[in-house]
Amino acid sequence: MPHIHIQDLSFSYPNAEAPVLQNISLTIHQGEYIALCGQSGSGKTTLLRHLKSVLTPHGVRTGSIHLDDTPLENVPAITQASKIGYVMQNPQEQPVTAKVWHELSFGLENIGCDTATIRTRVAEMACYFGIADWFHKDVSTLSGGQMQLLNLASIMAMQPDILILDEPTSQLDPLAASDFLNTVRKINLELGTTVIITEHRLEDILPSADRVLVLDQGRISALDTPKAVGALLWEKNSPMFSAMPTPMQVFYRAGATGQCPLTVREGRSWLGSSIPKTPPVSYLPAPKPFDSAATALEVKDIWFRYSRDSQDILRGASLSVPAGCIHAIVGGNGAGKSTFLKAICGSCKPYRGKVAVFGTNTKAYKGNLFQNCLAMLPQDPRSLFVKDTVLEDLQEVSKDTAQVCETCQITHLLDRHPYDLSGGEQQRAALAKVLLTKPRLLLLDEPTKGMDCFFKQTFAEVLCKLKQQGVTILMVSHDVEFCAKYADFVSMFFDGQVLTTHTPASFFGGNSFYTTAANRMSRAFFQNAVTADDVVALYQKNREAAQ
Amino acid sequence: MHSDGFSKYHPLTNFLFFLGAILFGVLFQHPAYLLAGMLCAGIYYVLLQGRKALKAIAGMLLLLLIVALINPIFNTQGSHILFRLFGRPYTLEALVYGFAVGSILVITLLWFGCYNQIMTEDKFTVLFGNLAPSLSLLLVMVFRLIPNLLSRARQINDARRAIGKGGDDLPLKEKITQGMAVLTALTGWALEGSIVTADSMRSRGYGAAKRTCFQIYQMGFGDYLVILAAVLAAIVTIIGAVTGATDATYTPLLWSAPVSFFLPVYCIYLLIPTFIHVKEVLQCRIFISRI
Repeated sequence: MPHIHIQDLSFSYPNAEAPVLQNISLTIHQGEYIALCGQSGSGKTTLLRHLKSVLTPHGVRTGSIHLDDTPLENVPAITQASKIGYVMQNPQEQPVTAKVWHELSFGLENIGCDTATIRTRVAEMACYFGIADWFHKDVSTLSGGQMQLLNLASIMAMQPDILILDEPTSQLDPLAASDFLNTVRKINLELGTTVIITEHRLEDILPSADRVLVLDQGRISALDTPKAVGALLWEKNSPMFSAMPTPMQVFYRAGATGQCPLTVREGRSWLGSSIPKTPPVSYLPAPKPFDSAATALEVKDIWFRYSRDSQDILRGASLSVPAGCIHAIVGGNGAGKSTFLKAICGSCKPYRGKVAVFGTNTKAYKGNLFQNCLAMLPQDPRSLFVKDTVLEDLQEVSKDTAQVCETCQITHLLDRHPYDLSGGEQQRAALAKVLLTKPRLLLLDEPTKGMDCFFKQTFAEVLCKLKQQGVTILMVSHDVEFCAKYADFVSMFFDGQVLTTHTPASFFGGNSFYTTAANRMSRAFFQNAVTADDVVALYQKNREAAQ
Repeated sequence: MHSDGFSKYHPLTNFLFFLGAILFGVLFQHPAYLLAGMLCAGIYYVLLQGRKALKAIAGMLLLLLIVALINPIFNTQGSHILFRLFGRPYTLEALVYGFAVGSILVITLLWFGCYNQIMTEDKFTVLFGNLAPSLSLLLVMVFRLIPNLLSRARQINDARRAIGKGGDDLPLKEKITQGMAVLTALTGWALEGSIVTADSMRSRGYGAAKRTCFQIYQMGFGDYLVILAAVLAAIVTIIGAVTGATDATYTPLLWSAPVSFFLPVYCIYLLIPTFIHVKEVLQCRIFISRI
């Protein structure tokens, strides 16, 4: 018996020209794990929202959705509330109440459970999700990862049969994200809950997915096992292929045949079986080292703490950034990376040490530091929007917006409300606003957070263009793949200090855990391959050498 | 914050105590009772807040002084004229009455300071949740919104500083413009967030059935004991008040009822949370010393 049955579903928003969903037919069985992917604007969220009546958007709809052979609109609201769980993107805005225990009980209160039942269920969930330690805490004191776990737990307390997740980890750092996705996997395996998930980090969910559904402009363009979908996308030369896991990309782009690898482990054994253990060509020639006489930023031994009796966040951090390069800082959560950026631009005042921008101490700039010199793009781009349209927002800084808009590729978005843009578009609009101050040194805090791989590509193009114009870029990021591809230097931040600084090739080549998927799969054979391109190039060189 | 024994009792116990303490504090004008009220509230406030309390108390005493000094300017009743200000008499009685009014203000502030720390909003809503589930949920959401808005405002300010908008050393006019921009951004953000929250509520069945209210706190033996003690002490104090033991007049002549045994009973009532707090601390010490 099919669990969810969607028949010929089409949907268009009022006053919209093109339908968002077209002739979707889909059958999902009890306990399946379905990964839903597609470019932004392909209708993923709209499709997910159709699976729960209270969230279904208004518009013209044809076709039908059945849940266990009952049309979804005939399933009572109270049954839908408990049987279909829906986790949204933004961790901070989903909690309703102020306390963790209250949040866990919220759904159960709504469906009219008595105190004894709620007590048991809440206790059960707190144990299963390991949140007993912060059971009495205020919701506002939790980290993003904890908050999203709480959102999931408070839905699981209602014992749903189906769990729908709409990009649940896009606002989380990689560690919290994989924690979260592991929990989802555990729920699917141990409780048999059906999971339907959309996600940017396909590498993390494809290995657990039974089937992958690819949406392209509102139509189903592929629906099959992960490996079959990968093969299909490669054959069709689809842009979605670039979102597939690194081992799969390397496999097809290197022109290999046979069983395609999905995980790093499979990728590694595939490499091992197709090239000799000690390959003739084991490293790529190092690119010309970045050379610059001038220094854009010189941080010397800064110390900082938030209040008198708290611990030091920065403990003698020093860094020197040559002018005109892209410098990336990576490191774990809570290591103080964001605080380091804040200390550079003066939002935090270090109690010891000095910061010099273009050779002059920041204190000596007085009010001129942010004019034509230094600017920072905050982690949440929405903090920068204060007006009703993007254009008005940009004009708040400078009237001369044309060129910057072109650089950031937002010319077509100027009349829109900033909050109506997608995550990647918001990031570029915010960057445009920052760029209007004409900074020579640009600080970026987690710029690729919540972006899918297409937006990342566009964003990288913008950064490269800025670099050509001579802007120095210092970014803090969790995104090792992005840093490996585009940075000139990478530094490791740990325990309030900058530990090491290297070129990406030697930095990620030397790490075994904190490194890219491409490096992890190839490190047994190649010395400094850190991106998929590197591995493909080395693989092909070795195959040529063998012939 | 420092752990406090009294806050571990049931919200109802906490609430009843503060209700009594604040009502008595506002109603009694007898100088001895005012002094007792200030001391007892002050001690508990210091126990709760630690070193931070001293600064706040200094501020409150300053307020007391200002109220006391200002009162005679508006209130010219009284028989002992100290001097004339703008031709109006500045009397001793009015000055003393000013001190009394200031003390009432300080007592109320102190008790509310303690109340805020003990009666977190979740406890408050637990108390009234069964009477009005929707109203109490609304209150929880409002309480949640305020700290969220504040932290968001800080975030926006920081972001704007880093593109050269805002900062501390701006002229007043520019500061107001900047403040308005931040306010607009906050409103937009709050509206946007509330859409997501509303979706999250509906998707978890809000409005689908009659809501119940989950009680995490349970009344225990200790709660009944404390409530009994408090009620007894309160009844005795009320008898005292009815029979005139707490009466006092300030103008036109200073007069107060003689101090009787009702005062120590009143003190016992006010010191209940302090007793519990000290008892907990001592018990902890003893347990640790046994290890």
